[in-house]
Amino acid sequence: MLSVMTKQLRTHPALIPLFVFIAGGCAMSAAYLARLALRSPDVCWDKTNNPEPWNKLEPTFQYKFIAGNVDYSKLKKEGPDF
Amino acid sequence: MAEIEEKLKNYRTAPFDARFPNTNQTRNCYQNYLDFHRCTKSLTNKGLDVAPCEWYRRVYKSLCPISWVDKWDTQREEGIFPGRI
Repeated sequence: MLSVMTKQLRTHPALIPLFVFIAGGCAMSAAYLARLALRSPDVCWDKTNNPEPWNKLEPTFQYKFIAGNVDYSKLKKEGPDF
Repeated sequence: MAEIEEKLKNYRTAPFDARFPNTNQTRNCYQNYLDFHRCTKSLTNKGLDVAPCEWYRRVYKSLCPISWVDKWDTQREEGIFPGRI
C-alpha cells in the first residue's frame, strides 16, 4: 500500500498536495472525535468513579459557542442540595 | 427552605438548565427523576423533612412523558430500576 503510494508520488509529484490535504483532513476528524470523546461533559467512560460528569458543571457553564438570549452569568443552581 | 417554598409557589415550568442546553431534554427528565428519588432517600435517612425535594418532582413532572414515569415507577416497585438511586 505504502510502496504503491511512494511509486506513484515519484512519477507524479503533483499528487503530493492531494495526500497532504487528505492526511490533514483525517487528522482533523480524528482530533475532533478525540476531543468529543475525552472533553465533552455528556460522555461517561468510568461508571464507578465518575458516573455523571454533566453534574459537575456549574450552572453558568456555557456549552454552546454562541449564547442566544441566555445571560449565563445570572444563572444559579435551581434545585435544593441533599 | 423559605426560598424553595417561594420558588415552588412561583413555579410555572422547568427552568433553563445549563447542563442540558440542547433540544433533546431526555437526560434532563431522567436526571430530575433520579434526583427526586435520591433526595427523598437521602433526607429520610438523615431524618429531615423531604419538602425541598418537591422541586425535582415538579421539574420531572413538567418534562417527562407520563408513560416513562409510570414505567420507571413500576420498575422501582419491582426492584428492577436500572438507575442508581
